[in-house]
Amino acid sequence: MLSLTLQALFSGVLAGGYYAMVAVGLALVFGTMRIINLAHGELVLLAAYVAYAAESQYGLNPVMAIPFALVIVGASAALVYALLSRIDQDREINSLILTFGLGIILTNAVLMIWAADIHSTTAPWFQESVVVADTLFAMRSEVVFFVGGLVLMAGVHGWLNHSWQGRAVRALSSNRNAAKLMGVNPRRTEILSFLVAALLATFAGIAIYTGKTIFPSLGHVMTVKAFIITVLAGMGSIPGVLIGAVMIGCIESLTVTYVSASLQELAGMILFLVVLFVMPSGLFGGRKAIAR
Amino acid sequence: MKRFLVPAALAVAYVAVPLAFGGNPYVMGLIVAALTIGGIAVAWALLGNLGGMVSFGHAAFFGVGSYTSAVLSMKLGVPPLAGLLLGGLGAAIASIATMPALRLKGPYFALAILAYAHIFQILATEMTGVTGGAGGLLSIPRFPTLLGVDLGSKTGGYVIILTIVVLSAAAYAAIRRSAWGLALKAMHDTEIATRVIGVPSTHLKAAMLALSAFITGVVGAFNAHFINFLEPDYAFSGAWTVLPIAAAIFGGYRTVWGPVIGALTIYLLDQLVFKELMPHGHQFVLGMLLVGMILLSPGGLAPILGRRLEGGQRHAHA
Amino acid sequence: MVRMTGLMTAAVALTLALGAPGVADAKDYLLGSQLPLSGNLARVGQGMSEGIAVAVDLANKQYAGKHTFKVTTIDDETSPAKGVAAVEKLIAQGVVALTGGYGSNIIGPASEAAQKAGMVYMTSGGVTPDLTGRGYKTFFRINNTEGYAKAMIGLLGDMQVKKVSVVYLNKEATSNLAKQVQADLTAKGVTVGMHEFDGATSDFKPLLNKVKLQDRPDAIAMVGYENDYVGVLRAAKVLKPDVKAVVGVWSLATAQMAKEFPDLMENVYGTSMLPYPVEFTQPEAIEFSKTYARLFNKEPDYLGQFGYVQTKLLIEAVLRADEAGTLDKGGLADELRKTDAQTLIGRVTFDEKGDNPNFSHRMGQHQQGKVVLVWPPEAANGKMNFPARPW
Repeated sequence: MLSLTLQALFSGVLAGGYYAMVAVGLALVFGTMRIINLAHGELVLLAAYVAYAAESQYGLNPVMAIPFALVIVGASAALVYALLSRIDQDREINSLILTFGLGIILTNAVLMIWAADIHSTTAPWFQESVVVADTLFAMRSEVVFFVGGLVLMAGVHGWLNHSWQGRAVRALSSNRNAAKLMGVNPRRTEILSFLVAALLATFAGIAIYTGKTIFPSLGHVMTVKAFIITVLAGMGSIPGVLIGAVMIGCIESLTVTYVSASLQELAGMILFLVVLFVMPSGLFGGRKAIAR
Repeated sequence: MKRFLVPAALAVAYVAVPLAFGGNPYVMGLIVAALTIGGIAVAWALLGNLGGMVSFGHAAFFGVGSYTSAVLSMKLGVPPLAGLLLGGLGAAIASIATMPALRLKGPYFALAILAYAHIFQILATEMTGVTGGAGGLLSIPRFPTLLGVDLGSKTGGYVIILTIVVLSAAAYAAIRRSAWGLALKAMHDTEIATRVIGVPSTHLKAAMLALSAFITGVVGAFNAHFINFLEPDYAFSGAWTVLPIAAAIFGGYRTVWGPVIGALTIYLLDQLVFKELMPHGHQFVLGMLLVGMILLSPGGLAPILGRRLEGGQRHAHA
Repeated sequence: MVRMTGLMTAAVALTLALGAPGVADAKDYLLGSQLPLSGNLARVGQGMSEGIAVAVDLANKQYAGKHTFKVTTIDDETSPAKGVAAVEKLIAQGVVALTGGYGSNIIGPASEAAQKAGMVYMTSGGVTPDLTGRGYKTFFRINNTEGYAKAMIGLLGDMQVKKVSVVYLNKEATSNLAKQVQADLTAKGVTVGMHEFDGATSDFKPLLNKVKLQDRPDAIAMVGYENDYVGVLRAAKVLKPDVKAVVGVWSLATAQMAKEFPDLMENVYGTSMLPYPVEFTQPEAIEFSKTYARLFNKEPDYLGQFGYVQTKLLIEAVLRADEAGTLDKGGLADELRKTDAQTLIGRVTFDEKGDNPNFSHRMGQHQQGKVVLVWPPEAANGKMNFPARPW
């Protein structure tokens, strides 16, 4: 029983790493622009498909595909930003609908270009097992991208806290007008947050391509999960989002272990609602209330 | 001009459409499906305009309504027409479970409702004894023949869903004109001010949520008896949320009839035109339409049409 | 973008070519096909439509100069309402019969619309007993849950395993099959552990760890679809439970899986009618496979095989009914009931309800990039590796 629980927690933490990479990007854009980018999961998926194309056409290792994916996803994110910035009335709802429409476009473009087949890397290196103390099992891909993701998120965290541009992003998210008065260029800062989100999305996409299987409708699923995690954490900080993601990952794997794998989504959703109702500003939300 | 518009449109809808397309089950089926989307779109827009709440989970109410009516008619022999109302009632009751979400702001409310839709779907899958589980329910009773009209036919179904949509839109319009509507609009603008002058905002919002859920539930119940089939993935499908939102935005969610016009336009364009041009992936065009509409005319189609009809004399609406 | 425009142009051309109504010559036959080409079931729908296209192509070759056949396909977008609409539209276009359909939930209402119009509906895409249980006169199906269960249980029986863990997706077709396997194996005295999972599951390690540490089975039986199999096998490869065999059903023992996941599939069993690569012992299979390669530039999979067989039988019955002069008088259903044919998927006959009682699937095993048929013994073209695992 003990080793079952330990494995469940181990799997949950690793899964949380994936979730966090997707969620941090979403939270970052929400922070600077007060906009939820419903096409964020599709950007992650796009990165994964670029890796697939590079591997199947040119035999490129998925890790080597990161620069290409970064360019394509970055350009797509910039395009999303350019369209978003043209909205001038009812920003909250119209931006939701706009990004939602962009998500539909991306999903169907993927469907038309790459068909509905499932894909995953053919490089077996990523799926070899990593065994810790004979009781904890994982795939190399999971461990590599968990560690890589942590480093990346730590980097973004440091950038937000210590660089001028990063502070501008934070300033914009806490008080837009004050930030402008302090000389922050909102457009440049917003697009910067979009590009950092694209960087995280790219990394997450490659991670998913090497560890799991990809198919066109996956993008929407990832957006919803990322949003749930961001709300759970309270949009506050990168460490908060990471902890929220790990919590979701663990509650899912514990449900699989002790109840049934068909109820893991239910457990995640209920946790989400409970946190929302009991602690409306999220677990680590601080000032930014989400309830009236 | 506008005075004659509604009666004329109703006459066309009730008489001319069945006469013109009654012999073509394919086109009639498409119109019924479009109106089904339209009915949800009206309910969604009602919640958005009067309650100031954007929902991403109307599929929750649609699914509960359809399962309530289907199960009652299959297990207890409740007549399908009565089942429509009970389906609506079931959805309204289910909306009580979602009411803690009312105190959440915009996107948080939207996503909370989406979470409910997921939860209801999983429950429908797991409660095998009542819902038939993932296998679903086949051969749900059809609508009966009433006064010589076969309501179970395509044209019969059309008359029923048309009536549901017209009544819903009429109720929506009436509330908007009433004192309630005024209070709701005030609340939408500045909630604190409304509270200060003594309008019980949470109660009003709860009422709007229940009404929206009721309408959606009735539409869901209609669909169950019209398609005669249900399964959790279908009844709680995200499509029941997505298409109505797209329709409402496209038609103009700030007007009463915009969502219906939007549903008919989008669905029929998609099925009759885009599908012919590109047999798969034609949702691509749907996404394009949505994006284009938001960028070029965020108010949707209805305001444009309205301006044409009234020579720009349109007054501000709630 | 260029590639997309090209695709769209091709799609438009295809629509125009396929959608052109049949000339009013009695020797031209227009078939209708309602299939999911987008939405959740897009991949399987595409597979079946390819098989249908091959059957039509071969029939045109076989009856060249005498008859021509065409098929109009409408995408039901994995939606029951659109499936019904597609059937109605096809009937309005004057098709002689319908072949297609994927997913019991869509086939149900769609075939009901066909039944109302007295139109024959032939499928292989929905295996639930509920469909034939309705007793429609116009509904025909060449495969069923029992046939899949028979193959899985037969193979496990030959392996003489004592303990089996069934890992299955909580969808309709998959849970029906899993429960049938459970019932039959339990009746034979095998201990069965059941593990249901949700379609959103992507990490199967916690589940497989339960199988490994609590069930300790001789064999793992998987009932799901491609992405589930890949997830389960990857988790199993990491956890290495001490089993003698890993068995699955549809979408598994296929050429595509062998190519896409070579390191994962070795020694895994799944249902398969033909070995891969197809051997030169069956002339019809060779012809089928060649045409498939010519039209779609790839190896045929099981979806194509079923789509091909159902359409071929339908075309033959259409011709027989037309010769007897009963085609436009509703004689096609009676003619189909007289079917008794040896096909790529074995013998096919239809009972009163339109079900094929002879249907029993075969099991193939991935062996070094090939799929070798190993069960039943009379269809086997190789030895089964047992006990053997993918890792």
